Amino acid sequence: MSQTINMNINGHQIGPVEVSDHTMMIEFLHEKLNLTGTKFGCGAGVCHACVVLVDNDDGTTSVERSCISGAGYFDGKKVRTVEGHAKTNEQGEVSELSPVQQAFLEYYSFQCGWCTSGFVNTATALVEKLAKHPITKDQVEKTVEDALQDNICRCTGYVKYYQAVKELILKTPGLTV
Amino acid sequence: MKIINQIFTSLALLFFSVQFASAETFNSEQVARGKYLAVAGDCVACHTAPNGMPFAGGLPMHTPFGVLYSTNITPHKKTGIGEYSYALFRQAMHEGKGQVGHLYPAMPYTSYTLLNEEDTQALFAYFMSMPAVNQENLDNEIGFPFNLRFGLAFWKALFAKDIDFEKDPSKSVNWNRGNYLVNALGHCGECHTPRNITMELDAERAMQGNVIAGFEASDITPLRLVAQGWTQPDLESLFKNGYSEKGTVFGEMSMVVYHSLSRLNDSDMNAVTSYLLNSDVPVKSKPIIARIPDTKAPGHNTYVNMCSGCHGLEGQGKPNIAPAMQSNATINRPSLYNSVAVLLRGIPSQKYNATTAFYAMDSFEELSDEQIADLINYMRTAWTDEPPNASAAQVFRIREELEGQGLIGVGSGHAEF
Repeated sequence: MSQTINMNINGHQIGPVEVSDHTMMIEFLHEKLNLTGTKFGCGAGVCHACVVLVDNDDGTTSVERSCISGAGYFDGKKVRTVEGHAKTNEQGEVSELSPVQQAFLEYYSFQCGWCTSGFVNTATALVEKLAKHPITKDQVEKTVEDALQDNICRCTGYVKYYQAVKELILKTPGLTV
Repeated sequence: MKIINQIFTSLALLFFSVQFASAETFNSEQVARGKYLAVAGDCVACHTAPNGMPFAGGLPMHTPFGVLYSTNITPHKKTGIGEYSYALFRQAMHEGKGQVGHLYPAMPYTSYTLLNEEDTQALFAYFMSMPAVNQENLDNEIGFPFNLRFGLAFWKALFAKDIDFEKDPSKSVNWNRGNYLVNALGHCGECHTPRNITMELDAERAMQGNVIAGFEASDITPLRLVAQGWTQPDLESLFKNGYSEKGTVFGEMSMVVYHSLSRLNDSDMNAVTSYLLNSDVPVKSKPIIARIPDTKAPGHNTYVNMCSGCHGLEGQGKPNIAPAMQSNATINRPSLYNSVAVLLRGIPSQKYNATTAFYAMDSFEELSDEQIADLINYMRTAWTDEPPNASAAQVFRIREELEGQGLIGVGSGHAEF
């Protein structure tokens, strides 16, 4: 069987397109849309390398695992993938990285990069939330740990990811009070 | 330096001699036997606070009458049961009367009363021989009039009797041992048997299942277990690994498996599984139910989009990630309760032993009552013998009950910012 779906990905309207029941979201992104930045890690919803963002109508953002969620789950939803964060020029080339991406580069947060797409998405959701609901400076460390605790990294041992997000939050006006 | 070492050694020796002073009065065989019995009785589960010292008490138990805290049962003379005589210990175990007076029946003395003398003595020997922990008992948060312990005397006069375990001569030694382990030590009925209006275990409906703390302790009567296709090896696998072809254990039962059932010796395991299935000979297994799902059924898309990533399009599951839905005993039963509760609450990741674990299941509270009913009916049709008669109204009632207890949405992985 198959489902006919529509969705908005990184601001572009996709569909209607038919997908078979076997199609998980990550496969849809890779094979149908050529968006290969989202990485397939454990395939079981554990490592969060494959997470994408869903912007809900109520203004919240959900972090969803694309390896265990069928493409049909995203029908009618607004989705952001790792390709959607940086600014691009008229030729479609990256002209400016997002603050989270830039911070990860500056702090040498990753080595092999397999988990990076997931970390970028989760950290972006956190930073955007703090812009709406700032926290006090003493809450930053725990907030970062809580937000990123589901994302697994096997190279750098988390320290540099956490450091990057923490420093970004502290230095960006409006995220802390 | 040498002198300091000597002082430390003598201090250490002194420390241990004080801690284990009473051990010498019991023989080691009796203590070892008591230790095994305490495992079979799962004493540690209730008498240990989260991250607390084993047997030092402090676990909160939420009852309809308020919060009870389990007590320190290490042999500390001030805060534990160090001053208990055997007679008093026996009285607490068999009659529910300790140093403080009548005990609340959260302590399963209505089951432990069936313990034989030899086992009660062995348990006493074990508890008196373990290291004493100095940890004060917490005051219960029980409102009037239930805070008055003499009231318990009336309840006990009516419902708690000091009775001896009686063997059924028409049954095998194995079956009788299983009966003793399940009903006396294991006190399984304390959760699995429904209680009547007076909170007494309803003997008429023994082991027929009971909702407790937001999950249903399953119907574990032989009739139901055999109908679901359980065999002795299935039950043994469930009790040893938390997992079998019929699914996983979750909620409080996963702790029972971890602390107690998985540590039963082989003959006791065989006794328990044979007793539960009421058969000393192997029960014939049933084929796994794996029909081709109805792709036009209303629950199909929900299953495909939100469940199949882990549980498989054909309901086959993923080893050490998510159990199979085919013939899954949680769905393959007339009661809807756990199917709905699992979907709404989620399940935290579970590690049963070094080689068996299952990953956390999300809460799917965002699904409507109708979507949940459709999803359950879809799974029932494909992978169970149950009729697809789940209704949104039934789901609504269970959701309401769980919401009232603040139990919805504990699963992880579904983060929202």
